[in-house]
Amino acid sequence: MGSRSATAQYLGIALFSGAYLLLGFLVTNSYYQLIMTLVLLWATMGLAWNMLSGYSGLISFGHAVFFGLGGYTMTIVFVKFGLTPWLGIPLGVIIGVFAGIVIGFATFRLRGHYFALAMLAYPLAMLYVFEWLGYQEVTLPMMREQPAMYAQFSDQRVYMVLALALTVGSMLVSLAVERSRFGMSLLAIKQNEAAAEAAGIDALSWKMRAMVLSAAMAAAAGGLYAIVLLIVTPQSMFGMLVSAQALVVALFGGVGTLWGPVIGSVILVPLAETLHAELGNIVPGIQGVVYGLAIIIIILLAPEGIYWRIRDRLVARRAGEWAQPVERAPTGEAPSTSARPRPPRGVIAQPLLALNGVSRAFGGLKATDDVTLGVVEGAIHGIIGPNGAGKTTLFNVVNGFLKPHAGAISFAGSSLVGLKPHAVCRLGIGRTFQVVRAFPRMTVLENVIVGAYAAAATDPQAERNAYAALERVGLADAQAHALAGALTTQQLRLMELARALAARPRLLLLDETLAGLGHDELADMLAIIRRINQEGVTIVIIEHTMHAMMKLAESFSVLDHGRLIAEGPPAEVVKNPAVIEAYLGKRWMDRAQDPLA
Amino acid sequence: MLIDVFQALAAGLLVGGTYGLMCVGLSIIFGVMRVVNFAHGDFMMLGMYAAYYLVTGFGVLAFLGPYAGPIVGAALAGPVVFAVGWLLHRFLIARVTGARVVTAEAEGHYAQIILTLGIALVLANGGLILFGSQPVSVQTPLSRQSWEVGEILFNQARTVAFVLAPLCTLLLYVFLARTTLGKALRAAADNPISAAYVGIDVDRCHRFAFGLGVGITGVAGGLIASTQSFQPYIGFDFVIVMYAGVVLGGLGSILGAFWGGLIIGVVQQMSTLVLPYQLQNTAIFVVFLLVVFFRPSGMFGRAAERA
Amino acid sequence: MLRIRSLNVSYGGLRALSDVSLEIERGQFVAVVGPNGAGKSTLFKAISGTVVPTAGEITYNGRDLTAVPPAERAHLGIAHVPEGRQVFASMTVRENLDMGAYTRNGRARRAELLPMILDLFPVLAERRDQLAGTLSGGEQQMLAIGRGLASAPELLMLDEPSMGLAPAVVDAIFERIRDIHRAHGLTILLVEQRVVEAIEACDYGYVLETGRVALHGPYDTLLSDARVKRAYLGI
Repeated sequence: MGSRSATAQYLGIALFSGAYLLLGFLVTNSYYQLIMTLVLLWATMGLAWNMLSGYSGLISFGHAVFFGLGGYTMTIVFVKFGLTPWLGIPLGVIIGVFAGIVIGFATFRLRGHYFALAMLAYPLAMLYVFEWLGYQEVTLPMMREQPAMYAQFSDQRVYMVLALALTVGSMLVSLAVERSRFGMSLLAIKQNEAAAEAAGIDALSWKMRAMVLSAAMAAAAGGLYAIVLLIVTPQSMFGMLVSAQALVVALFGGVGTLWGPVIGSVILVPLAETLHAELGNIVPGIQGVVYGLAIIIIILLAPEGIYWRIRDRLVARRAGEWAQPVERAPTGEAPSTSARPRPPRGVIAQPLLALNGVSRAFGGLKATDDVTLGVVEGAIHGIIGPNGAGKTTLFNVVNGFLKPHAGAISFAGSSLVGLKPHAVCRLGIGRTFQVVRAFPRMTVLENVIVGAYAAAATDPQAERNAYAALERVGLADAQAHALAGALTTQQLRLMELARALAARPRLLLLDETLAGLGHDELADMLAIIRRINQEGVTIVIIEHTMHAMMKLAESFSVLDHGRLIAEGPPAEVVKNPAVIEAYLGKRWMDRAQDPLA
Repeated sequence: MLIDVFQALAAGLLVGGTYGLMCVGLSIIFGVMRVVNFAHGDFMMLGMYAAYYLVTGFGVLAFLGPYAGPIVGAALAGPVVFAVGWLLHRFLIARVTGARVVTAEAEGHYAQIILTLGIALVLANGGLILFGSQPVSVQTPLSRQSWEVGEILFNQARTVAFVLAPLCTLLLYVFLARTTLGKALRAAADNPISAAYVGIDVDRCHRFAFGLGVGITGVAGGLIASTQSFQPYIGFDFVIVMYAGVVLGGLGSILGAFWGGLIIGVVQQMSTLVLPYQLQNTAIFVVFLLVVFFRPSGMFGRAAERA
Repeated sequence: MLRIRSLNVSYGGLRALSDVSLEIERGQFVAVVGPNGAGKSTLFKAISGTVVPTAGEITYNGRDLTAVPPAERAHLGIAHVPEGRQVFASMTVRENLDMGAYTRNGRARRAELLPMILDLFPVLAERRDQLAGTLSGGEQQMLAIGRGLASAPELLMLDEPSMGLAPAVVDAIFERIRDIHRAHGLTILLVEQRVVEAIEACDYGYVLETGRVALHGPYDTLLSDARVKRAYLGI
């Protein structure tokens, strides 16, 4: 994505346009010219689909609804009011945008297949409505006088140029999105919405914006399509095949990239159209079969599309040289970064993070039961307990993924209860997760930048913060541009840590960052965490690797069955009978106390 | 006016019976196995054409006469569609379902959705090529005759379908509840990991369940085939109807799906009292959206699946 | 009967098990204990086939188990009572037990085994027609064990049966497990977090720590070994 320079992309687009125009001038057969125009229109539809579903992962089968609304708006105002398509198409775009907003608000609360099903329903419903309204087949009238005023041209190539303009425009918009925090945020949402939210990304807001852009592009394509074909029917504007085509060209060519729909359209549309023209009489459904087979083949063999398959092959050779083992973090002076002054030792400060009687239940099970604890600024505080004690649930409640059923949580004086995770992040709390979900095709730097947006107003600032975060965890420049897919687990953990640090948090919630690490790797990780703490970041860490925790944390809170059973310095806590019982069982304590056993 | 309401209600019940059976088939796949199958409507279409060719087209069952023929045709449509479903699962669908594939449920569903959409396109358009676009239906004199109860007309073909559909559902229910294979299917869907621990071949069970699900819907299609005309694209019309019924009835409940389908049928027919007939399916979409937004667990659903 | 040599299991670069060796003789009761994250469940999953080892061998009655597909292993006589019970929630208690009897041996000996199981766990007899998902945690655990027994196994494997259960219930369950071992001579492999219950019940024990066998020995020597406590609490 961002690792290719913008210049290369612009150059690519310019070359593509140039080549296309050249080909257009050379082709004299008006039928082939029509196909060239259609290729561009479907490429635009693919780009529209990509803008929502490709980048964010929410599969839409219903882009025909925007396509059809754009086309029909233009048609109706033309036929009924004589309004020129030059105005009608933009009007269609506005209607499309409006529909996008309404549909977005209604449907974004749904997940996965429910979202897809609902999106499927919208154009089908529109289809029935328009059939009922009597628009079985509407032919656009030919304007004998001043045809150009009504966007009617005898030379098919003019349409091709218009379509090219639309496609290039869509490509440029897609490029701008991809290279900005917009695209990165969508990608983060696609990979792991929870982690994205915890990193400060307001998922709903970005999804809405994507939907609106997507709807606008699709509506414009629909309007232009109607003008090119001069005839609209509910089936051709709202039908299944329209949505399918938008999806197929993007899927086949490459999901989540502006080149994908273009590649897909260039390959599939001429193929399907030619087959349809040649064999359409004998085998009437050939187009649909071709698209169907294309979908099946691509999803089984190259699920992300041709573009990525090729690119993976090319890039893999280079990336192998870059991913090196992590250098041992220097245990020297901490570099001067945004070091917050630590409160002097011995002074009992107000806790930075305070939980008071926090409870959260699932069904009848109390996952968190009346927990009260405080973390002082600058401390490293461990949260331990046997399996199922409710440690991660506690984090999820602090973070905003879960609402507490009772109790208060405050951070630096302000309440966290009811805040969404991205808002919690913006207040200064960072979080890592047990399972690291990296974006394998993006570089380490790009992975980390996603976390930087919450605290950086501009994109360049975000990049600087990301670099700084990488340095803090000891991932050197060499790794910054390596593909995340090539990293070892330890490097991934460090990257995850960097992502949380990129937002310059005051408090870090670390969820089992040390789990499963070998002896050397553990030592490295501990050194890095200590260093981060010395730079001023308060750390709360969940672990059950006791040896490591003993060396790291200054104080522990011990949970068992959701309740706090002990608190204090490690050496004390571990001797606490309640704690021993929680870990080793009651009988251990009984035996330990009975010298005759 | 009141008589119109009763007529619509009667028509809705009759239609709803077969919708119920159709939804039961989907419920096995979507409700129990949580496999998203967008091609389900096209399997129904295959069932319709299977019945058509058996009875009218090739006249294989012509010897049974015009009354028994369509019924047997509908019954035989089941195994035909079962076989197609079994093969598709073996070679295509199994590659995107099952424990070995899914790291996160969302990812598994993505591939299932796309793959079954592709299959839907191939089936529908392939059907167009093989069967042509002319609407056909299974000929039976019953479709043109009606029984009269009071002033309400009960179309005979639809009534027969209405009687047979719950019967099929009952048979399926008994199969799943009483037989070892049926219980193994349920176990494999309930908890594939535990099922493997007790020695059940989960892959084969899923395959059989998939075939069964589409086969049942194929039978429903065979029944509907004698009550209305159809063409290869009819599957897309019915996909939302089927999902609406299953979701309304509640995921995980097969009998619930039957009730869901029945209610959907009633909604559809009764909506014609206030809406023009072209919008009858729109009414169903609205019901579907309402259920998914406000009560995703449906009427009898076992897990409140946050949609 | 069951022999594990130098088993290595990795998930994405992380070693879950390193060079683990274990042996179970017929009729023995072996316990594997260790803190959370030590790799106990991974060991189990390797034996049932849910997880594929990267190195090492597992032989069962002389037969290489890694060559046997997971669903087949139950038919060989290995019963796995999974972590967290994992009963068939939408099926009744009776149906769950029926499913346990799915194996060849289970079907053959159904008539004798079912009364034995209901005798061992009377509460299951009471709730025969209740949906398994509505049972309490302890009852589900008994059902899961019953289901395992219904397959007429040679080797019964129990994965953390005490997890999420109240102490009194845990005691009752361990009583039953010891009964099963004493009365029927069944070979048992028990994985547990709760050290004393497990080691007191067993003949021989292994202590796992971060994927390795930290120590092993007969139950009486283990109980007095200070290294056990260190494995759990770090000191």
